[in-house]
Amino acid sequence: MESLQRVQPPVFPLEKVVIPEATSFRLNNGAPVFLIEAGTEEIIRLEFTFKAGQVKEYLPMLASTTNMMLSEGSQNYTSEELNRILDYYGAFLNMSAEKDRAGIVVFLLNKHIEKVLELSREILFRPVFPEAELNSLMKKRLSWYLVNREKVQNLAMDKFFESVFGKQHPYGHQLIEQDFNNLNPALLTDFHTKNYTPENMAVIVSGKIPEKTIELLNQYFGDISSKKINSEESKDILKGENRKKIHIDKSGTVQSAIRIGSATINKRHPDYPGLKILDLLLGGYFGSRLMKNIREEKGYTYGISSSVSSLNLTGYKVISTEVSRKNCRNALDEIYKEIQLLQREPVKKSELDVVRNYMAGEMLRMFDGPFALAESFKSAWEFGLDNSYYFRLAEKIKTIEPDEITLLAQTYYNIDELYEVTVGSK
Amino acid sequence: MINFSRFSLDNGLRVLVHEDKSTPLISMNILYDVGSRDEDPGMTGLAHLFEHLMFGGSINIPDFDLPLQMVGGENNAFTNNDITNYYLTIPSENIETGFWLESDRMLELDFSLKNLDTQRSVVIEEFNQRYLNQPYGDAILRLRPLAYKVHPYRWPTIGMDISHIEKTDLEQVKRFFFSHYAPNNAILALTGNITHDKAFRLTSKWFGPIEKRIVQTRKLPVEPVQNEERMLTIEKDVPSTALYKVWHTGPRISPDFYTLDLITDLLAGGESGRLHTKLVREKKLFSEINAYITSDIDPGLIIVQGKLMKHINIQHAEEAVNEVIDSLKNGTDIKDEMEKVKNKFEATTVFSNTSIINKAASLSFYELLGNPGLINMEAREYRKVTREMVVDSASKYFVPSNCSTIYYKSTRKDK
Repeated sequence: MESLQRVQPPVFPLEKVVIPEATSFRLNNGAPVFLIEAGTEEIIRLEFTFKAGQVKEYLPMLASTTNMMLSEGSQNYTSEELNRILDYYGAFLNMSAEKDRAGIVVFLLNKHIEKVLELSREILFRPVFPEAELNSLMKKRLSWYLVNREKVQNLAMDKFFESVFGKQHPYGHQLIEQDFNNLNPALLTDFHTKNYTPENMAVIVSGKIPEKTIELLNQYFGDISSKKINSEESKDILKGENRKKIHIDKSGTVQSAIRIGSATINKRHPDYPGLKILDLLLGGYFGSRLMKNIREEKGYTYGISSSVSSLNLTGYKVISTEVSRKNCRNALDEIYKEIQLLQREPVKKSELDVVRNYMAGEMLRMFDGPFALAESFKSAWEFGLDNSYYFRLAEKIKTIEPDEITLLAQTYYNIDELYEVTVGSK
Repeated sequence: MINFSRFSLDNGLRVLVHEDKSTPLISMNILYDVGSRDEDPGMTGLAHLFEHLMFGGSINIPDFDLPLQMVGGENNAFTNNDITNYYLTIPSENIETGFWLESDRMLELDFSLKNLDTQRSVVIEEFNQRYLNQPYGDAILRLRPLAYKVHPYRWPTIGMDISHIEKTDLEQVKRFFFSHYAPNNAILALTGNITHDKAFRLTSKWFGPIEKRIVQTRKLPVEPVQNEERMLTIEKDVPSTALYKVWHTGPRISPDFYTLDLITDLLAGGESGRLHTKLVREKKLFSEINAYITSDIDPGLIIVQGKLMKHINIQHAEEAVNEVIDSLKNGTDIKDEMEKVKNKFEATTVFSNTSIINKAASLSFYELLGNPGLINMEAREYRKVTREMVVDSASKYFVPSNCSTIYYKSTRKDK
């Protein structure tokens, strides 16, 4: 009865991704500001980012605790007031301290920009780090930590970073309970004075940006000066542990966590776009080889993925999954098999075409809307790169050949150099 | 303001279209009016397992994901007590591939035993990962049957017992499909770079030929009014003791819904919510505490859950929670807080509507509730809530005989 031919409609090549350029200027004190105009709603995303991540800390948790304490009271507002007023204006404040950078992101309705800027200045440049709030935060963090240490995926990830970057380096340091007792307000003030400075700051604004934004940014942040105390990068060198295979026994668990990977190149390296494509093929999307084999064929897991990430000093790649205990060995074998297959046999054109098209769609999503645009901008800018990085990536997606992928797999996935962390009950 | 148009096909499929030219993408959302509440008590978890099977190939298309990835698209899905929701985002030039894919799996699935076997294992691993291998992961599994005695909300979407999933057979799967997956039991929303005319043409072409199916009218047992306090104690080797308290609410479309949702925000919205301020910051009884409303279509729950700080007595912590909740019943000092929460709802709506995926999901869900216009009206509904309404609802719902409590006690000895 049906006259419709249910065959795939014609497939059209995707439009070239349009990336709006950020306009940049400097505040009166020299801090760079980037403006990205996008979106249809009267809102903006406002990010203040500082070189104030873990890599700057001389005691564990200093970077993250300083960051979390920024909104716990300032010269002119108590912590309760800061939070209540931000909530009152419908603003969403996210604080984050990562391995290299730390700062805040605020999502706000344009009509409240002035109030939000005033509070952001309090949070970023006038925090007072009250001792009572610090003690209570550290108690809370300890109890979160204890819950997290029950989860195989957290134990595995912490051990992975420790193995790959070394126990001593802030990138690899694992927290112990003792670390929760070592901080005091003076240490936080010192870390803040050295790292949350206009010299260390950049501002990224995206959305439907109000006209007076530049003027207001200068009014609230343009006259802030620093004491110009140099903060030093960690002197510890990045060096992976000697042991490559580590098992942590955690009794009573029904699933085991697996992490396999190693340090690798970062975004600044010319091979990086190619490595991104290889990673996607291996485990970076739902149709990846690992997902097809280990979830869709064998049903060992709810999910498996691989990723490549860039840090300032290095990069890393990691394959992550949680599998039923009894299939842990099988899953490991299959992961290595998939890596070896990529090193041995060129990828078929049909599979590569899917990856090319999927990634082209991904690129449209990476630049769709003011929030995505700001994140994509930042993740190139922080490595000293601009949009030409994305154009190179787009070009590589279009032109990469199977042989190049094989070569990348041989160069960057040497199995003898990979760390293997498993956590679960025997 | 989200402008949208609406039409339906002769086979009963309802369609909503919202054009947004600022994006090169289109989000295509299909909501099926079936969730875990529609399951047989002896065969729970089927609606969710079915969501997995929907990716295993349909009558004319052996692989769902591959052609979608081939046109730069991406997809996901979720199942809850009430609905099963699928969504794609596709670059607009290739939207027709989305219509081809979605209409084919509405037409008929390729019911393969191999796919069923694999997805059964995947779902069992999902169950293990989410509920068994996480500290406190089973709390929600224990809470539902405490609060509900007869309504299907007494089991979670993943299933009451994993053995139900283990023993599913192809016949049951087929029956489930033909009794719930039908154009007359689905809502399609298209948002993004698509015009009404194009949406109409493509929907008619691909979904129009699918015949209407017989969908039984839903007849669910009504949960009797709870009239006694319920209490359960669980002892486990977890790092700290946790407290869970739930109260029954009205259905999603009851006039009290907005008041109760607003109340949970007064209690736990953001860092400045009452529970957080009083019990985490001031009294330091909890390391974290949260409150939310389940937003179920049938009468749902308000859930308050928190993890205690070390050495805090759970009865003492519970009394403190009750005190904060009781403070709403006299309504003092509440005016500014209400204004704050209302502003936050307004902002949340604006932020949520920056995403075409959210807009498509909201339009579909509001259509299911009977009024897609709610997408533009809900912020106003929150504005209408008065101090008296908060006092009345708090006094009506937060009573001990309407409450179920779990003490999730840590058996761990301090080192």
